Amino acid sequence: MESTSLAEQQRILASDWGGGKSPFGTSWSKFMMWIFIISDALTFAGFLIAYGFMRRVAPAWPVQMEVFDPLLITFMTFVLISSSAVMAMAVSAARAGDPKSATKFLALTILGGAIFLGCQAYEWWHFIHEGATLTTNPWGVPQFSASFFVITGFHGFHVFSGLTILAIVALRAAMGKYSGDSVENAGLYWHFVDVVWVFVFAFFYLL
Amino acid sequence: MASHEHAHPAGYKQYFMTWLWLLIMTSAALVIGYFHFLPEGIKAFLLVSITLAKIFLIGSIFMHLKSERVNLVMLTFSPLVLSIVLFFFTFGETIGTNPTHQLENQSPKFVMPTGEVKH
Repeated sequence: MESTSLAEQQRILASDWGGGKSPFGTSWSKFMMWIFIISDALTFAGFLIAYGFMRRVAPAWPVQMEVFDPLLITFMTFVLISSSAVMAMAVSAARAGDPKSATKFLALTILGGAIFLGCQAYEWWHFIHEGATLTTNPWGVPQFSASFFVITGFHGFHVFSGLTILAIVALRAAMGKYSGDSVENAGLYWHFVDVVWVFVFAFFYLL
Repeated sequence: MASHEHAHPAGYKQYFMTWLWLLIMTSAALVIGYFHFLPEGIKAFLLVSITLAKIFLIGSIFMHLKSERVNLVMLTFSPLVLSIVLFFFTFGETIGTNPTHQLENQSPKFVMPTGEVKH
């Protein structure tokens, strides 16, 4: 009886979760990343719903594409989508055991993210230069600049965090100290940043 | 372990095609959003549809959700479902308020936190 129990304990400890069968069929780190992404998605959903509410109750709203440069916004979107595609390739290369290609693709992803962040800094600078603050703006709708700063600022901070994570993963890949899981988890976060921007692009800038 | 089984050494072409579709859909969204040639309702419907299509592509191909177990995929839908619930809850609160209109004259003026307007 005692030996059976010990064997059973060893079997459980040797499994993915140390608690029997993995219900989601993923490694624990990847599942935790998904849990984080889902909780973060709820935060952004709250921001966007609040934005929709403020916009609906506001007596007026500026024409966004006359306030912002549509070419710059489109370029930023293209850059982020492209970096997401390259990130997917980095995950493929890491999974295939090719650290050289993984490092190259990670470096390109970082470059894309840095360009996006630079464009966003320029957009903020321009917007602030026109007189926009969190509580006032030249278009007479305080909620307009408030939602812009909060939503794009929170997203921009995610891009910055993503760049930091990617830089660490790229350095480790260059040194050969990486795992497919670590690159994939960083990739999931980066794709999530892209997903959020797709929503911001449609709902804040275009709709 | 689903994630360990499907490395994608030959998946670059699929990623490239996904990227291409995402760019095409982004361009379409820009045309719909920037040029005001559609009624607001149709414009909103098309923009939401394009956005969801893009999310579907990024999630299934880039984030490999199409290779994951169904219960994990279902879990990722929860923010979307809760957003829809939240939207209809808050949308109900806005009924009866003045409908938002786009500013025609965007002459600079500052509305101070006190409500005072400075031209």
